[in-house]
Amino acid sequence: MSEATGTEMMAKGSRVTDGFDLYFGPVHPGSGNFGVKLTVEGERIVAARSDPGYLHRGFEKLMEYRTPIQNAVLSDRLCILESLNWNLVHAEAVDRLCGTEVPERAQCIRVIMAEFSRIQSHIIWYGVLSKGLGFDTGFKVAFGYRDYVLDLFEFVTGGRVYPAGYICPGGVRRDFPEGTRRRIEDLLVTMEKMTRGFEAYDSNTIAARCRGIGVLALDDALRLGATGPVLRACGLAADVRRDAPYEIYGELDFEVPVREEGDAFARSIIRKREIEESIKIIRQALARLPAETLPPVKPKVAGKIPEGEVYVRNEIARGEAAVYMRSTGEAEPYRCKIRGPDLLHMIPVLEHLLVGAEVADVPAIYWSLNICPADMDR
Amino acid sequence: MADVESEQRRAELLEATGLQFGLEPRVASDGSVWVSVGEQKLGDLLAFLKHEGLGHCSAISVTDWPEDGAFELTYHLWSYEDRIVVTVKSRIDRGEATVDSAISLWGPSAGIHERELHELFGVTFKGNPDLAPLFLESWDGPPPFRKDFDWRAYVRDAFYEEGDRRERSYWD
Repeated sequence: MSEATGTEMMAKGSRVTDGFDLYFGPVHPGSGNFGVKLTVEGERIVAARSDPGYLHRGFEKLMEYRTPIQNAVLSDRLCILESLNWNLVHAEAVDRLCGTEVPERAQCIRVIMAEFSRIQSHIIWYGVLSKGLGFDTGFKVAFGYRDYVLDLFEFVTGGRVYPAGYICPGGVRRDFPEGTRRRIEDLLVTMEKMTRGFEAYDSNTIAARCRGIGVLALDDALRLGATGPVLRACGLAADVRRDAPYEIYGELDFEVPVREEGDAFARSIIRKREIEESIKIIRQALARLPAETLPPVKPKVAGKIPEGEVYVRNEIARGEAAVYMRSTGEAEPYRCKIRGPDLLHMIPVLEHLLVGAEVADVPAIYWSLNICPADMDR
Repeated sequence: MADVESEQRRAELLEATGLQFGLEPRVASDGSVWVSVGEQKLGDLLAFLKHEGLGHCSAISVTDWPEDGAFELTYHLWSYEDRIVVTVKSRIDRGEATVDSAISLWGPSAGIHERELHELFGVTFKGNPDLAPLFLESWDGPPPFRKDFDWRAYVRDAFYEEGDRRERSYWD
């Protein structure tokens, strides 16, 4: 470790950069509310220490004081970038505890919305990765396309980023408004156009900056707890949607993209392939959508959660998300443990990948993991 | 989890756990396996399950039961090959709150959960070299996720003014 901090060394006018502490975040465009302290020797990183906690709001504790319908709204905030997926994990935990049979139409709507949430989360990732690599066009194109998805979210849920617990225990808060099917079909065509556009960029900037960078071996990935696209880029085709299906995923036909290289470029290819798979899933769910309309879910104000415990796992855009919920028969859960993929990706995995890397490769490694400080800190 | 192979594998695992440890694992309606174990046998059971292919430590959690004077640890494990989820539960003394680390079995993926639980519940994991604070800055109060930590009183005292007209309702 260093003897003097970077600031002290700069104040002294030192030109020696061995043992220099370099802070990447938390005040950095795109890093999110999260930082990592790098100790560098010249251009080489010799130590990395993640510095989380800037977004710690104590959700697990807050949920012990709130009813499921209030917690559904709270679950939006678990990850700003994919609120609907987190809605779904929470709602499923309550449904399983209560033994609620969710109507098939509601299940289809849940899957459609969760998959759109995955698509727009991957688009954000594409945008911030491009931005991190200095490829501003990619950032602007991606965020432009993301807005089309947010338009649909606003139309269906009323909220663009936070759907206010749209996927809630028992089903969804309201049925698709009239004209939603047409909008979804149009949006899917736009998304397909977008994926073709992204292909064109792969061969230049992203490939040049990401290929062979931040290589994660499969045994390291398992030891460090990587899940989702990060794990699939190392050669293991694991996906909760296929391995332990929930909702209607077991009846849908989709592929789990997998790559062997384990580098930042492989992770980016996986996410782009996943957008295509999500489009396939939405088409199938839309075709299965039963015709009858759904009665709106009325929140049970005095409802109690039956005594019991569940551990529910879902596949969200970043990896494995899970909720352990324990109820003692009260209206509020006694304990609600939230397991997000980013606690693992942003501390053990990131620290492992950064040691030995060059300073110039930090953005490629950092954003290839598709970080979200919100679900890490909770 | 309907496929035949994982059901077979689960049945084998249930039998082996019962025979070796004299425990009675429970299968929930969603197919997940739940097993409670005493503190003395916890390490052996976890090592056994790791050896049986539950290679992914999905999460470790603590539930606080102050009336029973106990912390309940839950280890949520997943097998990528057999597609089985197993939860191991074990109660430890709330006053002592020390347990062996699972870092030798699942590496840093278990270590990071333990680091979080050490900060938020005050449970010490023996053998984990890094239990440094994770989220809280300059915090010297009790572990805040314990049931007996009154966070409402803390927030009111630390952040609200009794004399402030708009914040008065928090003091009623």
